[in-house]
Amino acid sequence: MKRLTLLAAAVLYCAFASAQGWPTKPVRLICPYPGGPVDLSSRVVAQKLQEALGQPVVVELRPGAGGVIAAEAVAKAAPDGYTLLMGAIATHAINPSLMPNLPYDAIRDFRHIALVVQVPNVLIVNNDLPARSVAELVALAKSKPGRLDFGSGSTGSTGHLAGELFKQMSGTFMVHIPYRSSAPAVLDLLSGRLHLMFDNLASSLPNIKAGKVRALAVTTRRRTDFLPELPTLDESGLKGFDMTTWWGIMAPAKTPPEVVSRLSAEIQKALDMPDTKERLKAMGSETPAVRTPEAFSAFVESEKALYARLVKVSGAKPD
Amino acid sequence: MDMTLFSNLALGFGVALTPINLMYCLVGVILGTLIGVLPGIGPVATIAMLLPVTFSLSPITALIMLAGIYYGAQYGGSTSAILVNLPGESSSVVTCLDGYQMARQGRAGVALATAAIGSFFAGCVATLIVAMFAPPLAEIALKFGPSEYFSLMVLGLVAAVVLAHGSVIKAVAMVILGLLLGLVGTDVNSGVLRFAFGISELADGIGFVTVAMGLFGTAEIITNLEMKDEREVFTNKVTNMFPTKEDWKRMWKPILRGTFLGSALGILPGGGALLASFGAYTLEKKVSKYGHEFGKGAIEGVAAPEAANNAGAQTSFIPLLTLGIPSNAVMALMIGAMMIQGIAPGPQVMTEKPQLFWGMIASMWVGNLMLVILNLPMIGMWIKLLTVPYRILFPSILVFMAIGVYSLSNNPFDVLLMMLFGLLGYIFVKLECEPAPLLLGFILGPLMEENLRRAMLLSRGDPIVFFTKPISAGFLIASILLLVILLLPNIRKKREEAFVEE
Amino acid sequence: MKIKSPKDFWAGLMFVGFGVFFMVVARNYQMGSAVRMGPAYFPTVLGGIMAVLGGIVLFQSLVVKGAPFPKLSFKPIFYISLALILFGYLLKPLGFILALVLMVFVSAFGGHEFKAKEVSILTVVLIIFSVLVFVKGLTLPFPLWPAFLG
Repeated sequence: MKRLTLLAAAVLYCAFASAQGWPTKPVRLICPYPGGPVDLSSRVVAQKLQEALGQPVVVELRPGAGGVIAAEAVAKAAPDGYTLLMGAIATHAINPSLMPNLPYDAIRDFRHIALVVQVPNVLIVNNDLPARSVAELVALAKSKPGRLDFGSGSTGSTGHLAGELFKQMSGTFMVHIPYRSSAPAVLDLLSGRLHLMFDNLASSLPNIKAGKVRALAVTTRRRTDFLPELPTLDESGLKGFDMTTWWGIMAPAKTPPEVVSRLSAEIQKALDMPDTKERLKAMGSETPAVRTPEAFSAFVESEKALYARLVKVSGAKPD
Repeated sequence: MDMTLFSNLALGFGVALTPINLMYCLVGVILGTLIGVLPGIGPVATIAMLLPVTFSLSPITALIMLAGIYYGAQYGGSTSAILVNLPGESSSVVTCLDGYQMARQGRAGVALATAAIGSFFAGCVATLIVAMFAPPLAEIALKFGPSEYFSLMVLGLVAAVVLAHGSVIKAVAMVILGLLLGLVGTDVNSGVLRFAFGISELADGIGFVTVAMGLFGTAEIITNLEMKDEREVFTNKVTNMFPTKEDWKRMWKPILRGTFLGSALGILPGGGALLASFGAYTLEKKVSKYGHEFGKGAIEGVAAPEAANNAGAQTSFIPLLTLGIPSNAVMALMIGAMMIQGIAPGPQVMTEKPQLFWGMIASMWVGNLMLVILNLPMIGMWIKLLTVPYRILFPSILVFMAIGVYSLSNNPFDVLLMMLFGLLGYIFVKLECEPAPLLLGFILGPLMEENLRRAMLLSRGDPIVFFTKPISAGFLIASILLLVILLLPNIRKKREEAFVEE
Repeated sequence: MKIKSPKDFWAGLMFVGFGVFFMVVARNYQMGSAVRMGPAYFPTVLGGIMAVLGGIVLFQSLVVKGAPFPKLSFKPIFYISLALILFGYLLKPLGFILALVLMVFVSAFGGHEFKAKEVSILTVVLIIFSVLVFVKGLTLPFPLWPAFLG
């Protein structure tokens, strides 16, 4: 009888301890996009979390299917706080409208914990294009419908959808040329084979500064500190235009609330540290305005709705 | 000699030769070699993992180490290609063809030495080219658009047929099979998911490493196990470790040709470097007087592609350092590393941060030197490895391959695929169909189609554009010529055969 | 109609099979036109060419004398395949170490001689090396022990 009680006590203690003492073993942060800024920022955050939580936080790369594989894995993972996802705009806002049979629900299957990076896209044109402002570009596009080519990193990417929104709001018709990633698209833009593209700020900044391409506007509502003279698309006549690329930490839906709040607190602390700010700034990110899990959830929902509309308008379907 | 070049190089060496940079360069190349030897694990995964380590280092030190990993992996990849017929990187596939045969003839040491020497020479020359001609070469890279890439790849495909030493028809069919397998996945131009049958893991296509491990590594193991006696262990036949005078005489011209071809192709961001080793092999086979020995252990078949892929690895830094455009996944990571360090990669790096630019170039040379010094003595060790009985060797190879492939996306599906390709590879061996042309088609297929369709999109459906653009036209004409050269002897032979039978 | 070259016969058949396969599956996608190719265009054309080439090889195998049908041995195929499948799918549930043990042993069965002691030593060596290099050194996220042992 005594042994039984001891055993029961031990079991209860373990269960109790694992809930209270989280984390007691390494945490996995699943990253869907190896090698790019998402991967890099995952490692930055993982390092900070590791210092704060006292347990290893390991970045696990799970590429594939535009992020679906990683997102699905975390949606279906045990909600014990040991599996996290660096979810992105693609996985949670665009894919739900772009891909018909998504094996997860972007809102219901996840707890959205913290937005980590938010970068604007910037409208860049080839230097030889006779358009020095958004207004001139729109006029040019209207005078030559279907003659301007805009490139993007892939069908359904923010670069593509930004272009589609631009077309819709300005009433112009331009041809979309998809690429495997944004780098070859930038190359073709530099050489004039493409006329314009919406690329993310961080990667195009050097070329803009060096004068190899001309930047016309940013896609966010607010001007960016990196290029303060650059107007926003909203200011340039496309009222209400506001698009960013973003990613942030998420966990399976039923993750215990104490774990969620602890994670949120530590991540926000990390985001405020100067070295983290430096590193993320290098990607063109400024500390996001969204600082709580509830705000993040609301943000994801609004993004999802926005892109549902956009994808439909653009006709982009992997069919 | 240009004085500014001299002073720049002096500046560069001043940076590269500091103790801390030397140390991290060494760490990088050793790590790179290790990863290159281990199948499956590639520089991309490693660099990504090591990025946090670089946070605490100065930018130039971090980049030196990461670059070392990259070209170190090229050296390591040839080692496993020669010893066990396992290509670690796409660029090592071609080395398997003759390198492994040389190993079977007891000349593994010579093959390894040739690879190291060829790579070193190519590395030095290519580094010089980067130093002297980076900006003008970058301009050339800009001239290559979809039409040019397509035509280049057509040339590459025709050359692929040259790779085979058996039946030409079967080789062409294998190339086409490779092309088709490469099309599995999401179509860039339309977003449609092709040939995936609902399996999400196939949405990005079949991985090169998975196919190579399966077709070469796994199939090789199965084939070897099938032999009645234990496969002829190379032990007794290991001759000298070093190349003979005859070998030296035969290897220097292929190394030269490989270096220049590789340097040229490496500049092209759209997949040029992949073609480098294949192209060098093909060129050598047609040009060398020992062409008939290719596929059976010709030393040129190791020297040329090894020089080419190392030269390509060096020159693929050019688009990165001058235009800020990555030529491949590793370069994209380097961009990330640079950005995290606060350096914006792009045209102004050369002028605004000369220590970084020239320091990197100088350390490339230093790294190559370290690699050759490291690798040559290790040849003895590698040869000892070959004397291990196969029944111990093959489970080890299988373990490393499985771990490597699994680590690609932490997904058992990849291991399953590797197994299936292993079975397929076994069947290919039995039916005398060669896997190397398939692999080349596999790499080129999706790129070819993508560029073809994109060129057509940009030209609004006008196919003449391939012939009106000079570079593109040049490649296409070369392809037609090459095709004619290839088929002529065949036609003549068929006529002779027909004659004889009659 | 005698098959003069069984090896080539099967090779030709294989190519025809693959070619037809790709062409048939490609029918699910849009062809487009030569000027504006759809996703099905390239695969269909290629599949067609391959089927034709396969047909030529087939034809030749009926006419030209060639190599006889090669012998297949199933033991290595079976054990190597099994070893790989076991490793891949049991790594997460059973942990890295146990999965390795299984893989080494099963694959060793596929060899000519199976000396239990030798294989065991090899397994231990491989485990130590792999854990050090891959899990500790390269920080690959492999669980070492079975899931239920926490």
